[in-house]
Amino acid sequence: MKRILALLLASLMCVSMLAACGGNGGTNEPPASNPPASNPPASNPPATQPAGDDVPDAPPADSGSDLTASLTLATYPVGKMTDEAVINELIADFNAVYPNIEITVQYLDYTSGDDTVNAAIESGNAPDLIFEGPERLVANWGAKGYLVDLKDLVPAGTYDVTVSSCTNDAGAVYELPVCQTAHCMGINKDLFTEAGAMQYIDEENHTWTTENFIKAVEAVAAIHPKVGVVFCGGQGGDQGNRALVTNMYGGTYTNPEHTRYTANCEENVKALQTLKDLNGIDFDPAIVGGDEIQLFCNGTLAMATCWNVSAAQSDTQGKLANFEIFPMAFPTESGDPLLQGGIWGFGVFDNGDANRVEAAKAFIKFMTEDDAQYTKIVEATNFWPTREVEGVYAGTDNEAIMTEYGKLVPFMGDYYQITLGWAEARTAWWNELQNIGSGAKDVQTALDDFVATANAAAEAAE
Amino acid sequence: MGKKKSESMSRALVRQETISGYLFLLPSLFFFVVFVIYPMVMCVFTSLFDSTMGKDTQDTFIGLKNYIDLFQDDVFLKGLLNTIIIVVVSVPTVCAFSLWVASCIYQIQDWACSVFRCIFYLPVVTGSVAVAVVWKWMFNGYYGLINTTGTGLGILKENINWLGDTRFALGCIILILFTTSVGQPIVLYVSALGNVDQSLVEAAEVDGATKLQVFWKIKWPQIMPTTLYILVITTINSFQCFALIQLLTSGGPENSTMTIMFYIYHTCFKLFKYGYANAMGVVLALFIAVLSAVQFKLAKSE
Repeated sequence: MKRILALLLASLMCVSMLAACGGNGGTNEPPASNPPASNPPASNPPATQPAGDDVPDAPPADSGSDLTASLTLATYPVGKMTDEAVINELIADFNAVYPNIEITVQYLDYTSGDDTVNAAIESGNAPDLIFEGPERLVANWGAKGYLVDLKDLVPAGTYDVTVSSCTNDAGAVYELPVCQTAHCMGINKDLFTEAGAMQYIDEENHTWTTENFIKAVEAVAAIHPKVGVVFCGGQGGDQGNRALVTNMYGGTYTNPEHTRYTANCEENVKALQTLKDLNGIDFDPAIVGGDEIQLFCNGTLAMATCWNVSAAQSDTQGKLANFEIFPMAFPTESGDPLLQGGIWGFGVFDNGDANRVEAAKAFIKFMTEDDAQYTKIVEATNFWPTREVEGVYAGTDNEAIMTEYGKLVPFMGDYYQITLGWAEARTAWWNELQNIGSGAKDVQTALDDFVATANAAAEAAE
Repeated sequence: MGKKKSESMSRALVRQETISGYLFLLPSLFFFVVFVIYPMVMCVFTSLFDSTMGKDTQDTFIGLKNYIDLFQDDVFLKGLLNTIIIVVVSVPTVCAFSLWVASCIYQIQDWACSVFRCIFYLPVVTGSVAVAVVWKWMFNGYYGLINTTGTGLGILKENINWLGDTRFALGCIILILFTTSVGQPIVLYVSALGNVDQSLVEAAEVDGATKLQVFWKIKWPQIMPTTLYILVITTINSFQCFALIQLLTSGGPENSTMTIMFYIYHTCFKLFKYGYANAMGVVLALFIAVLSAVQFKLAKSE
């Protein structure tokens, strides 16, 4: 009797453990012969909304109620997009029109998010919807053929630059842009004022020339030895030091076609050499972008190159600072900076089920076509819209700061992070910055090596 | 007739026992095959392909090319060297230190012994992320505890960028690894030393053996199985050092803290070169297997 009981218990344990191995059992998997998701059945309502056409205020309720699906939405921490209350509200809005589409949310972070998604892809359980930027959606999962082309969903009035940044060479839009920001610098205004360095800054436009940047750093260094760092710890935030290097003397990181890396140009060599020689700036391989922000916010550093409006509004970053943080564009010789942008939006994984793809597209259309709903999701991201829309942040607590930081958005430059071989290029960039910092290589050799490695990766990925 | 019936019942009982035994084994066997054996086979298999796991890409069979490329890859060789340094430094130090601590505490009062075991075991049960965060703050090049204390006491002339300097970074990793590795060996040694046959110890002492002689001739042979176990697990843990590198240095500066384990992760999940990463995994497994076999052999011969 005891043995039978033990066997039953063992079997129960075995079955309960196996239960965890199951897929998303709630969905009715279609037979393998279903049409590919990118070719929905002809009877489907046309998803296209030609540019210039009038956009309806909201999708008609009766079209929504017909769709039945169970979707997974994976979202990276873009603004409040991993805030459960905010996401639940957005989903509730959607479910009011599409009551039969169930959405499960998977909250990701930038440390393990990629691994989570890759593991899900490998196990055949990729999320249906994902919210991230072009370097992952276009240059990675899109380039590997995992995503659906969303060009039929691009709403009228979407800024060309944001759409082109989300489009691959073949014209497929793998990310439906929702929000954008311009990464910038932040300076400790109290310290700069004390050092008499505010005279080198155009406070109205938040810009400075390279010559004035150097003078400002030297002035601050006289009273505060740690002015800034070229962080090269190897995890994220590289948009900061890339933008600093390429802006200083007008260098480039890739060619305009985004097919090859060009960072070894003489302008970038000059910029990196200037930074290396500049008193007050250190090359630090022990810190990453997040560390730089913390060091800036706690007053250790006088400026940050990995700054943006989200950091300024964060309770654990900008709001901790006991000094005034002043946002700045990266310094240029011409005074016309090209900032590194962030463009985030939705991608749809092709899970082989046309119904789920259609439901995912319905979700995107719902969130992006209606002005009121679009305003709501843009405010959830804490960044700026990617198409013409009035009244975002109007009357909110964020209005003042969004207006101030919004002055930098027009400086948005080329979104070259979709160049092939980006992952290898990024690693090589960190390594070569470390080599420059330690003196293991001179700047020209380091950048030549970077370009050789990155272009080899781009070539291999073609 | 009675004997035959008894034999037949006995056979039936044995068969029943055997079947029950196999049924009990079945769940763990299933998971062992699915989650250990199958991935191992797939690892070896994938290492022979130019696999990137792209949806529309066809993996090409490339034979041993990944293995040949490995030994021409400077980063891999640097990672291999660093891994060997970590193992060579960490394993003997952990074993010697934990044996010393265990020898000091195993005969003291029970409550005091428990306090020491608890203190040394704390880093083992603390999550590696929490450990790394604390150490990162201690090693911080701007306001870290070590720099503040060092400069305050006049030991350091200026702050040192511990994790950002190629001269110190690997040493810092080994130090942290050491603190998180000694807990379990100490507990095991305390237990092993407590089980040493006291009659032999007393006999040796009556015969005039010194403390050192008692240790080497009586205690050491008896705790050898424990030592072997500690050597093997510490070696494997050192070879597989990953979380600390990932959280503290990402293999830098200039690959000075790159280990094979971290390079496998980076190659696989950041560069998506699955075939190449699997080849590294196979090489790492072979290294660990060979070293463990050598350790067993040496311990047996002693």
